[in-house]
Amino acid sequence: MLSPADLWHSEIFWQIRLPRVLLAALIGLMLSVSGVILQGVLRNQLADPYILGISAGGALGAALSIALGAQFIVYGISSLPATAFLFSLVAVFIVYRLAQVASKTTPETLILAGVALSAFCSAILALVIIISGNLQTVYFWLLGSLSYASWSNVLTVLPYALIGMGMAYFFSKELNALLLGEEMAQTLGIDVENTRFILVGAASIMTAAAVSVSGLIGFVGLIVPHWIRLIIGPNHRNLLPVVALSGMLLMVIADTLARTLLSPLEIPVGIIMALLGAPFFLYLLRRRRLSGK
Amino acid sequence: MSVLKVEQLVCGYVPGKPIVKGISFSIHDGEFVGIVGPNGSGKTTLLRALSGLLKAQSGSIIVAHHRVEHLDRREIARRVAFVPQLMEPVEGFSVEDLVMLGRTPYFDRFSFEKEDDREAVRWAIEELQLNDLKDRPIANLSGGEFQRVAIARALAQEPKVMLLDEPTSHLDLRYQIKICQLLKKLRKHRTVIATFHDLNLASRFCSRLILFKDGDVIAEGPPEKVVTTANIWKAYRVRVSVKANTGTKKTKYVVLP
Repeated sequence: MLSPADLWHSEIFWQIRLPRVLLAALIGLMLSVSGVILQGVLRNQLADPYILGISAGGALGAALSIALGAQFIVYGISSLPATAFLFSLVAVFIVYRLAQVASKTTPETLILAGVALSAFCSAILALVIIISGNLQTVYFWLLGSLSYASWSNVLTVLPYALIGMGMAYFFSKELNALLLGEEMAQTLGIDVENTRFILVGAASIMTAAAVSVSGLIGFVGLIVPHWIRLIIGPNHRNLLPVVALSGMLLMVIADTLARTLLSPLEIPVGIIMALLGAPFFLYLLRRRRLSGK
Repeated sequence: MSVLKVEQLVCGYVPGKPIVKGISFSIHDGEFVGIVGPNGSGKTTLLRALSGLLKAQSGSIIVAHHRVEHLDRREIARRVAFVPQLMEPVEGFSVEDLVMLGRTPYFDRFSFEKEDDREAVRWAIEELQLNDLKDRPIANLSGGEFQRVAIARALAQEPKVMLLDEPTSHLDLRYQIKICQLLKKLRKHRTVIATFHDLNLASRFCSRLILFKDGDVIAEGPPEKVVTTANIWKAYRVRVSVKANTGTKKTKYVVLP
């Protein structure tokens, strides 16, 4: 016979710990794979869904649809990530357009445009939440947290993670060809415009799904791909699955730290990622400057 | 047999401002054709049009009996390979990895390299004498070695026609000659078309030269017919004398004023 205490522990494990670990893993996968995709398709080492404002756009979409009560369930799938997806797409489109100087985008202008749009979206996001009178969730959205993890959240993001990862993997030959530059990819038979459209879509859909259940968690898409690329090289056929697994692992570890470091106080996991990721980003920026690329 | 036929080709980047102005020529299987001419005469633009990167404004390009505008990117890629002046080195790739990228037009969405892909890569590496380097990281190669890798990548594409934009311009004398010897050897299997700045190099190794000026062909034929004092004056406005190469007799060389 199980004692009441055992039942309580098993309840905690099944209803609280397990969905939270799974959600952390899925979010780690989606954000890190989005990073690989964006770096490959925009040919920009510093691209990441958070830095490019895709996350903030998506979070704004999600918060708006919650605040306006415009959520509905179709065939058991929540509309929340779909709204977030639309806003993410708009964000990435605006950033890309803003960054275009004389029909070329440089890594630096892309980042500046991303940062500006990100700040703008975050401000509106905070405003929407304050007006809707749900003040404490501002922290959730802006700092990123998995404290609302549940089975239904896991099931909500799972299809998006599978679709996004599948699309990325089936386009690994395109991503590989793009390592040589856009023109060379074209001479290798790649339809660059089409590829960019599909893959930016895949990255946006995953980012949107991630932010709609966890708020803004940054730098995962930057740290993981760079780190894995150093170890196994840039061939996307191997890179994508290894990045996906490592992203899952990193996020689960980060969330465990977030939960336990100052227990019983919980740190939003976005803070942990920013503490790890921001210095790493600065390091990459500096290395770029030094190598003159 | 003609493998590439260009008819009344007009192309450029701005409508109404053509850079290549209605040229025609036809290239046969197994030729090594050098395209020469002053800077800005349209050599690179022509190569970009031939590789499908730039649409013809009018006229036509026919590769192995197919009009380029009727082929999709992948079909073009299986017929024409392009080696740019400077290819981007891919950090973290070995020589073999990079040559394998040449097989991209043969990969399916749901599967990757098969035995014939590996075979084509082996062959390309062999032809460019890269066997000793095949596991080397790209980042550790010299300019001349990297250019050979770039050419091997194009060869692995198994095209009918290989286009090279100034394959020797960043290389020292030894590698300029080595690359040209390799290209000359390659024409047994593929038609090779390359642009050159160095007239001596081009006339020594190419089977035919096409001399460009302001987007038009002003001379065409075997090197000894094209590289003449009069033609060079016409194209470059430079007075040179042309002497016979005593070693090879047939080819000539240019003596600067």
